[in-house]
Amino acid sequence: MIAIVCIDGSGGMLFNRRRQSQDRLLREDLLREAEGRTLWMNAYSAKQFKTLPETVRTAEDFLDQAGNGDLCFVEDRDPACYAGQLEGLIVYRWNRNYPADLFFTVPLEDWTLSRQAEFAGSSHEKITKEVYTK
Amino acid sequence: MKFRLTAFTALLCCLLLSACTGISGGGEPENTSPVVILPEGQMTQTVSYSLADIPEYTGTPYVALSDNVPGFSSGDMTTNSYEYYSPLDELGRCGEAYACIGVDLMPTEERGSISSVKPSGWQTVKYDCVDGKYLYNRCHLIGFQLSGENANKQNLITGTRYLNVDGMLPFENMVADYVKETENHVLYRVTPVYEGNNLVADGVQMEALSVEDSGESISFNVFVYNVQPGVIIDYATGESRLDDGAAADSTSGESVSYILNTNSKKFHLTTCANAGSISAGNREEYTGAREELTAQGYTPCGQCKP
Repeated sequence: MIAIVCIDGSGGMLFNRRRQSQDRLLREDLLREAEGRTLWMNAYSAKQFKTLPETVRTAEDFLDQAGNGDLCFVEDRDPACYAGQLEGLIVYRWNRNYPADLFFTVPLEDWTLSRQAEFAGSSHEKITKEVYTK
Repeated sequence: MKFRLTAFTALLCCLLLSACTGISGGGEPENTSPVVILPEGQMTQTVSYSLADIPEYTGTPYVALSDNVPGFSSGDMTTNSYEYYSPLDELGRCGEAYACIGVDLMPTEERGSISSVKPSGWQTVKYDCVDGKYLYNRCHLIGFQLSGENANKQNLITGTRYLNVDGMLPFENMVADYVKETENHVLYRVTPVYEGNNLVADGVQMEALSVEDSGESISFNVFVYNVQPGVIIDYATGESRLDDGAAADSTSGESVSYILNTNSKKFHLTTCANAGSISAGNREEYTGAREELTAQGYTPCGQCKP
C-alpha cells in the first residue's frame, strides 16, 4: 500500500481527534494522484469530499483491506503501525504549525524522495507534496 | 463588516460576567457560575479554573482542560461574526476576549505597529536563549489573523515569545485556516489567567468550537503556559532573570547529538520518532551544547523533550 498523509511542521496529523487542516485544492491533487488506482479511506476522510470517483473505496479497516499498489488516505492513525506493508508514501506538508497530539512517525530517512512539488492551496499559501519510494 | 459589541451590550455583559466567575489564580476557588442566557452575540461563561486546577509546566507549551471540551453552550451558537474585549481591570490587566470568528472579521490590511501599547507587567528585556532575543511579546488574545484587531490594549497582554509562537499561534493558525477554507464560523474565547494581583498572566485559556458543524472540525479547550524555557519570570512584576540552573544543566554535559528542523526551529533527540518525518530540506544533524541551540532560537520537541 501507498499511504497518503497530511502533516504540519512538527509531523502532527490530528489534534483532539480532528484533522489539523483541510484544503480543497489538496483534495483535488490527491484525487489526481490516485487516478486509475484504488484509493482507500475511512468515512471520516470521505466526508470532506463532495464527490468521489468510483475507484475510491471506504472502510474503517481499510489499512487491513488495501492490497499491493493501492493508495490509502490516512488521517486519523499513524501509518507507522503498518510499516511492514508500506510500499510508498505521499506526504503533503501544510508548512504551518498546528496543535497536535497524533504524529506521523514513519522515519522518512529510510525512504527515497522520488518527487517533490509545491502548490498554493485554496486556503494555504504553500503546500508541499513529497512522494517517497523504498 | 466587523461587528463589535456596543457599549450598552458590553456594559450588560460586564454586569452579567461580574456575577459569574472569572478565571483567577490563588485564594479560594471561586464558584462555578450557572449558565447565563445572554443576548445574541454575547457568550456565556460556564466553567472556571483556578491555577490549582492546572498542571505544572513540564516542557509542552499547552495542556488540555476538561478533556479538551470548550465551555460554550448551545445559546452561544451563532453565525453572526462579532468580537468582544473585556475592559481593563483596576490593575490595568486584560480580561477575557471572545468572538465568533468569520471571514468578515478577518483582516484585509497588513498589521500596523502595536508598540504604543504597554500591557500590564510590560518589560523590554532580551536574552540570547530567546528566539528573536526579546523575552516578551505583546500577545494578542484574539490573534490579528483572526479579528484584525491591531493596537487594542484590551486585546494585548505581556506574553513570552514561547507563549506567542509555540503556544498560541498553532491554535490561531488552525482556526484561521479552517475559517478561510470553509467560510464557516468559530466561537473563540481567550482568557488570561492571573494569580492574585500579578501583572503578568501565568498563561491563557483558549477555547474554540466550529459553529456550523457543532464542533466536528474545531473543538478545543487548552491552557497555554506563559513561560520561557531558560528564563525565570516574576509574574507579580514581569521582571525576569536567566535560569542559571537550566543553563548549568544544559552546559554541564558533553556535546549531544540532535536532529534539527530548520523550518519549525524545533530540535529532537536522534531517537525521536518525530525527527523521522522531517523533510530532507529542513533536516540538519547537530552535535554540541543544547544552550547553543536555544540561543539560536530553537525550542525542544514537545514529544521527546530533549
